[in-house]
Formats: sequence, structure tokens, C-alpha cells
Amino acid sequence: MPLLEVKHVSKEFGGLVANNDVSFVLNQHEVMGLIGPNGAGKTTLFNCIAGHFPVTRGQILFDGRDVTALKAFDVSRLGLARTFQIFQASGDLKVRENVMVGAFMHNPSRSKARAKAEATLEFLGIADAGDHLMTELPVAQQKRVALATALATDPKLLLLDEVAAGLNRAEIEDMVALIRQINTDKGVAVLLTEHVLEMVMVLSHRVIVLESGRLIADGEPEVVVKDPEVIRAYLGDHLVSDEEAAHA
Amino acid sequence: MEAIKNAFDFKDFPRLDMSVAGAVFVFLLVFPALPHSSFAMATMIQFLMFSLYGMGWNTIGGYAGQVDLGKAQYNGIGAYTTAVMMVRWDVPFWVSMPVGMGLAVGWSFLIGYPLFRLKGHYFSIATIATSLVLKDLFEVWDFVGAATGLQIPIRSKLPDFLYLQFRHDYYYYYILLALFVVGILYLNAFRHSRLGFQLRAIKDNEDVAKSLGIDAHWCKIKAYAVATAFVAVVGSFHACYNFNIEPEDVMSLDLSVLIAMMALLGGAGSLWGPIIGAAILVPLKSYMGDWLGGAAGLEGLNLIIYGGIIMLIAAVQPRGVWGMVEAVRARRRGGYAAS
Repeated sequence: MPLLEVKHVSKEFGGLVANNDVSFVLNQHEVMGLIGPNGAGKTTLFNCIAGHFPVTRGQILFDGRDVTALKAFDVSRLGLARTFQIFQASGDLKVRENVMVGAFMHNPSRSKARAKAEATLEFLGIADAGDHLMTELPVAQQKRVALATALATDPKLLLLDEVAAGLNRAEIEDMVALIRQINTDKGVAVLLTEHVLEMVMVLSHRVIVLESGRLIADGEPEVVVKDPEVIRAYLGDHLVSDEEAAHA
Repeated sequence: MEAIKNAFDFKDFPRLDMSVAGAVFVFLLVFPALPHSSFAMATMIQFLMFSLYGMGWNTIGGYAGQVDLGKAQYNGIGAYTTAVMMVRWDVPFWVSMPVGMGLAVGWSFLIGYPLFRLKGHYFSIATIATSLVLKDLFEVWDFVGAATGLQIPIRSKLPDFLYLQFRHDYYYYYILLALFVVGILYLNAFRHSRLGFQLRAIKDNEDVAKSLGIDAHWCKIKAYAVATAFVAVVGSFHACYNFNIEPEDVMSLDLSVLIAMMALLGGAGSLWGPIIGAAILVPLKSYMGDWLGGAAGLEGLNLIIYGGIIMLIAAVQPRGVWGMVEAVRARRRGGYAAS
């Protein structure tokens, strides 16, 4: 049984079609990349899947259940966690407390939630940051805390929205290792969107491509990046046609 | 059981804080035995009342970050329930207080459900409106004495612990002090609880909170109910302490604003904040109001000073006096060095 099934999902904001008849399937324990140019509707699709936006048409099944009409807090309780592209680390919460908020989902008791948070921070290699405020951490560590908080809810599927944004090369490599570890050690399936294509290529078992709200490709990373339609979506029509003209 | 353990768990405060808190508590305990004027006693009672108001307000306004400017309506419900039940049916305080609390909490659900669909300033404005509407209704409702209010008859034998009537203020003082301690312990458990964490996550970022399984709307309603319960209990007490209540006195906008302002000045979203705020503003309010209004003939100047304080908090440290303390401590502790 697939973990996530997106069936003919469309999302319209007034006259703007952000997602247009998108369908794909994500399997248990799979890592899937979602790529596409700016404004292709990747974050909108995330928001629809996670229940932050109601879809205009279509159906979303998660873990065998129809979650189309569910709110974000209900979907997340079923085991779908996410991180956000714009991560605001303000607030009064210390790092450990932040992660505890996630851990409280399945542990009503404070001591259990705290133990869970400690273990998750340890797993992600930031156990020493527990007593600090989010604002005191560098960006790479803040991203790890966001990841830890999502992971503390014991998800089956993790949606990662631009986790590598703002990271340098070495930090991106750390992040890749971390996501791989989450996938293999905890068996968590991952759906990630990323501008750093390399990261998507090395991590993903499968890649889907959105362009202007439509799904234009679905397959193994190496195959998808050679797809002429995908190249056209990224580089524009004239480049492809110039190339074709050169071949002719 | 864990809630009780949490209520007494102050481990995350440095020893200095607990020493200061202990010293303050000893002072509060012996204050009536020290030489004092009746004006000072009245001020201390006001301090304890506003601390309790502020502690309640802190759950929704501080931890959840929803600036509520309509707490006076619940003070009114508590005060009127106690007064009406005493005047009409001769019911003791200890019965009418929980009834008033129940009515206020029930009303808070009715108000809170639609109001929490609003965000930010719209929510604050709506809370003011609901409070003023209720006050206007009470001013024309004959059953509760309309604009002239209600006068609680004096019992024949004093002191009367059932009806909370005493000749000396220190009885009232110690009853409030007991409520004050219970309030602190309750809030200490509250901030350690799942709801406490969830509210702080909501204040931080509501979308992130929702993605962590938190029903933000329902959590806010729950926190609003807790805040309301605190205010209603003090309202019931207020009716007995004052004997005489009227809408302008117990449900005015001034009261709502003062409650929020004290908590904000001391530090919203922290355990000690509302108490610090009350300790600064209540004496300022009593002594300044008395001196400016009576002696200097400058009635209203205290309102200008309140306004100045609000501007100062907003500009310098939105997290109030306690925020300043924490900022200094964070600087001393030093930053995070990634290993």
C-alpha cells in the first residue's frame, strides 16, 4: 500500500491555478524529490498535502485514509510532519522546549516529552544546544532544530520545504547525511523540495517535477533530468529550440 | 499526579530568583504585623488582586500571545454572581464563588469561540467590544440593580468567614494571599503542561504549531477559560471586599486595560512578570492617583503616565521588566558554540 496518494489535486486562488490536476504516489520509506522552477506550485502542493490549504478539487490519501478534508493538526497527528521554508525563530522557547512541543503530540506527560526531545536532539547531533534560545543558534543548527521538532512527532512521512536554503556547501552535505539517516534509521519516508538540485539528485529514489502547477515528469532522478520537457521548464523554450536548431 | 509535581518544580529558575521569591513571600506573610497605615493595607490588597488578575491574563495574553482587553466582563460576572446570590438568596461566598467562576467560564466559551477566529489587533478590539456591551447590559438590567448596582447587607456577627465579612482588612489580606500562592502554583504547573507548551508554540508561529498537531483555536479557548476563571474568582472576592458593586466599578474598560498593562509591564509570558508588574503599577496607581487627584489637583495625569509606560514597554522591551532580566542573563551565559 502506498503511503501517500495524491489524486488529481487542483488548487486555485481566485483565478490563479497554483496546482493543476496533480497526481502521484509516494511509497513507504521512499525519498522523493519535488522540483520545479520558482512559482511552479511546490509549496502550495505541500500546504495542500499537509492540510494547511483546502484543495479545490481532487483527493489526498495518507496511510490508507482520506485526509483531503482534514485540518493540518489532524493530518499531522496521523504521522505527517513538515518543516517550513520560512523558518521564524523568535520566541521564548528554548531549543529543548521547542522540540518538546513536537514530542508532546504523543506524550502528554512532561517528563516523557522531555526524554523524547533529548533523544531526538541527540539523534540529530545537537544535544548541546538544548538550553539555548533559537535566536542564539546559527542557521544550520536552527534548521536541525526544526527537523528535530518535526521528527519528535514520530512521523511516517516528513515533508521538507527547502531545508538547504541558506546553507553552505559543507552544511548541505551534513544535511544530506542527516536526511539519509532519518530515512534509513527511522524508516521515515521523505518528500522534499529543494533548489539545490544536487541534493535532490543524491537523496531521492524518485523525482517528480512541477511546472506552472502541472506535473510534467515522474521517475528516477537520472531519467527525469534528461527529460526534454523538464529541461525546457528549467531553461526556457528558446534554449531548447536553439539546441534543436543546432542539431538540425 | 505529574501536575502536582510540576506545580512545585521551580528548578529552571536560578537560586537567586528563588531567594528573592522567598524573601518577598516572608514579607507578604508578616506584612499585617508590621506597622502600616490602612492606606498601605488597601494598596497591598490591591496588589494581590491585580497579581491574580495578571496571572490569569498571562495564560492567554502572555503564553498564548493573544492581547485580551476584555477581562473586566469576567470580573463583573464573578462579582455580580456573588452579590446577587448574597443579596437575593443569602448564599455564602464559598458557594457563589465557584458558581460565578462556572458562569464566567461558560460565557468565555461563547465569546471565545467566535472571537478566536480573529487575529492580532482585531481580536483585541473585539474583546473590548464584548466587555463594554456586557457592561451596558448590566447598567439597564434591574435584576442586578442596573446602574446603581448592588449593596451587600452587613451580617450581624463579624467576622463571618462564610460570607467573607470582616471588620479588619487583614482577614481579606490573608485570604487573598492564600489565593495568590495557589495561583502561582497553578500557573507553574500550567507553564510546564502540554497546553502551556502548545500555547507558546502558537505564539511563536501558528502554522508551525498546527503542523505539530496543535488545534490552535481550541487551545486558545482553553487558555481563555483559565484566564477567565482567575479573574472571576477575584471578582467574587471583590464583591465581598467592597460590599458595594456597580457596573462602572467592576466592568470598566480601565480595569481591562490595567490588567493587561500590569502583566505586559512586568513581563508577559513569564511566571513572575504579572506580579512584578502589579508591584510596580499598583502603588503607583494608588499613591499617584491620590496625590495627583487630591493634593495637586491634576486628576487624569496618571492616565498620561500609563500611556507613557505602554509606549516605553513597546519601544524598549516588549517582554517587560522580566524580559530585561532574561536579556542580561542570556548575555552573561554567552552564545552557542557549535561543536
